[in-house]
Amino acid sequence: MKRNPIWMVVNGIGLVLLICIFALPFVWMISTSFKTLGETMTFPPKWIPNQLLWENFSKAWNSGPFLKYLMNSTIVSVGILILQFATIIPAAYAFARYRFKGSNFFFGVTMITLMIPTQLIFLPVYLQMSSWGLLDTLWALILPFASSAFGIFLLRQSFKQVPEELLEAARLDQASEWKIIMKIMVPMAKPVLITFGMFSFIAHWNDYFWPLVMTTTDASRTLPLGITKLREVDGGVAWNILMAGNLILVIPILFIFFFAQRQIIRAFIYTGVK
Amino acid sequence: MAEIRLVNIVKKFDEDTVVNNLNLTIEDGSFTVIVGPSGCGKSTTLRMIAGLETPTSGEIWIGDECVTNMEPGKRNIAMVFQNYALYPTMTVRKNIEFGLVNKKVQKAERDSLIQEISDIVGLTDHLDKKPHQLSGGQRQRVALARAMVKKPKVFILDEPLSNLDAKLRGQMRRELIQLHKRLGTTFVYVTHDQVEAMSMGDQIILLDKGVTQQMDSPMNMYHDPNNVFTAEFIGTPPMNILERGHLNAVLPTLFEDVKYVGFKPEHAEIIAGSEERQDHVVLKSEILTTETLGAETIYTVSNAAGMMNVKRFDTPIEETNDVQIAIPYEKLYFFDGQEERIRFIEIDRTAPQQPKPVLVGGV
Amino acid sequence: MTLANSNETLHRKREQSALSALNWVAVRPYMMIFPAIIVFTLFFLYPIGYMIYLSFHDWNFVSPDKDYVGFSNFTALLQDAKFQQVLRNTFMYSFATVSLTISISLLLALWLNKKGAMYGFVQGAIFSPHIISLVSISMLWMWIMDTDYGLLNWFLNLFGISNIPWLTDPKTSLLSLIIVAVWKGIGYYTLIFIAGLQSIPKDIYEAAALDDTSKVRTFFKLTLPMLSPTLFFLTIIGLIGSFQVFETISIMTKGGPINSTNTIVYYIYENGFRFFKIGYASTAGVILLLVVGVFTIIYFKLLSRKVHYQS
Repeated sequence: MKRNPIWMVVNGIGLVLLICIFALPFVWMISTSFKTLGETMTFPPKWIPNQLLWENFSKAWNSGPFLKYLMNSTIVSVGILILQFATIIPAAYAFARYRFKGSNFFFGVTMITLMIPTQLIFLPVYLQMSSWGLLDTLWALILPFASSAFGIFLLRQSFKQVPEELLEAARLDQASEWKIIMKIMVPMAKPVLITFGMFSFIAHWNDYFWPLVMTTTDASRTLPLGITKLREVDGGVAWNILMAGNLILVIPILFIFFFAQRQIIRAFIYTGVK
Repeated sequence: MAEIRLVNIVKKFDEDTVVNNLNLTIEDGSFTVIVGPSGCGKSTTLRMIAGLETPTSGEIWIGDECVTNMEPGKRNIAMVFQNYALYPTMTVRKNIEFGLVNKKVQKAERDSLIQEISDIVGLTDHLDKKPHQLSGGQRQRVALARAMVKKPKVFILDEPLSNLDAKLRGQMRRELIQLHKRLGTTFVYVTHDQVEAMSMGDQIILLDKGVTQQMDSPMNMYHDPNNVFTAEFIGTPPMNILERGHLNAVLPTLFEDVKYVGFKPEHAEIIAGSEERQDHVVLKSEILTTETLGAETIYTVSNAAGMMNVKRFDTPIEETNDVQIAIPYEKLYFFDGQEERIRFIEIDRTAPQQPKPVLVGGV
Repeated sequence: MTLANSNETLHRKREQSALSALNWVAVRPYMMIFPAIIVFTLFFLYPIGYMIYLSFHDWNFVSPDKDYVGFSNFTALLQDAKFQQVLRNTFMYSFATVSLTISISLLLALWLNKKGAMYGFVQGAIFSPHIISLVSISMLWMWIMDTDYGLLNWFLNLFGISNIPWLTDPKTSLLSLIIVAVWKGIGYYTLIFIAGLQSIPKDIYEAAALDDTSKVRTFFKLTLPMLSPTLFFLTIIGLIGSFQVFETISIMTKGGPINSTNTIVYYIYENGFRFFKIGYASTAGVILLLVVGVFTIIYFKLLSRKVHYQS
């Protein structure tokens, strides 16, 4: 083992530099969001503003119907999550535990869906939503994600690992299939469900592409879209207001990340590796 | 009444016949052990009784009710699984309670039942723990408590002791025997371990390749095997089975068509010197290994007829490896070409004497 | 009611319930997968079919007629100089992003794969961009890459490098997007590599140490082959993801300047929503589908061959 002091100093400096590369942009974001417009245009840049201009946040918030955006974002992310749980749990159980005609075919359908990126099919889905009159509604943002092939895949793996004996014991205990799912399978798959839930929530909370394509008015826009509209405030780009707005979007996620870092990292690594 | 009857039961998995035309009766209140080597169909039989598998053909009766197609939960059967199958996310109390809730038993009654049962199996202090916080023996008890609390007509136990260490296994074996006496309910117990079968069961069913080899009490199983399979399965070490062809020189004349000759390891005597023995099969042998177990000694010896075990209770022989082993004629067991037992046999003692019928085996 | 009578009704009832129970057991699995399969069919499978159908037609979204044009959309698109540039941009962007991200994160993983609070903190820090919305990332980097007041140019000034118009010069615009993608992706890739490194059994390193194997040799002969499934996974997933880059382009450059950052999904979006060339856009979508499909197949082929390292 290399334990000599020079090596340890070099190693320490390296780690600090690494943190700087990833943390400084965020520090810069926070710093900018408290500056006056004038302060953003100094060169060399100032790291610490003369005074904390809290009104940047209220300016950003009041420049559009941000409460509406926030509500839409919440409804969409939470709605998707609830629908996904409602559809993937029974489907994963059926794929993991029942032998039925066509199960391979339907699982194949699921796997193909897993391979299809949403960025690829937005145009036909848009046309479809348009013909159903669902464009510019929250339905257009929720329905396509009401189930998740990825979630079924993950959950099926986890359901498959539950020993058959446990289900047999429950059947001898006169438990219905519904009860087996809710009282035995779901509690046992809780880590996977939490993992998937976090993954899904963060993905849809952050999503910009789908709302951009499907919505045209503020009535159904979500937070990420609302933030991009801040660029058009007052003609030129007011970086301080823009960064303040972005901070509103980022803070909840960073806050969750701060407290559930381990779990979130595990969620993304797990979902990535499997 | 909870006598269990299996009538012409056949079970096939795809093309594999696992249980072949099985007929058996498990008496009400008995401790019946189904024993056999792995793959003999014993677990499948058990699972068919529990309703976890449906027989391909045949009928299963519990008491005077045909349960062949009845759901497992409705059969009034409780099962203890090999790996206990405790619900890992529930506490001990919830594990025991689960079946009662499903049966819609009232809360007050549930509580008193749980109290009663956990007292019996000694789990009162652990009711609020999760299974992973318990030792192997405690988990075993939870599995038992979960089964007992339902007050079933039949207990089914699928190799319940195989995950315990040797010492605990012995203790649980005795506890199960006592539990059976106390409850008086029918126990059906599956194991691959003949020692467990012999020590626990009052009725033993020995299966091989989905066919009953023998259904009997432990003592009869031991002293009076029906065939080579039973003889070679029961006993530690089991009976030595030799081909008659190798023994012609030392055997008296046999009038039946004997293919195999067997003797129990404890019935052979080891003679270090060169004594003569009347009415004995005497084989000049070499001792290969000596296992001293304290009270007894097991020798593996080799001779003209092959390798065999001898079990003696006297002090181990150390001075020489060249010995003779002697087995009295009346302790020999005879089997025919189909490996079936020949129970009565006449032997021709040394030529000048008059032939004298001797009953051999099955003392 | 007589006893015989009630017995009979009981018997009949039992028979009926047995029958419906049997049907229910047979139907149950289908009921359970139905909602999910409906969603997949309506929003994934049918759209794919519809997109392929549209790629053989000429349609402007407004007119009631879709004219069948055969393969002419494909030939026109592939001969279109703009689309050729779009394809070039997409591949350049994808291969540069993935190769840079993978090589940097592999090095970081080897460095940071250690126990201790400090390393845990660093791992968390480099991962954090991955969970931040691309909207915020894009805007933040627009600000950092601002030619006159941006942090990046100020930093380069410290080393005597004069201001670079990162996003407004076609020479650097694609590179700028690559830098952002690498910055965002490194943490995720590094942590996956660390997970991969940790799954390598320790005893093979002990065996190698007993054989007096050098560090470099250990890396190339043991670590790298053992990591190869992770490496393939990340390469393919990374490429498939990069082919679909949209957010950073839409926010930071709008495909410009002079198409230097126009990539395929942005091109589909522009053609569909700005120029209303639905058939043309669908054709580009089919081409992307084919590319993604080919890489997916390659992935599964490699996976089935390399899988033995993991067991």
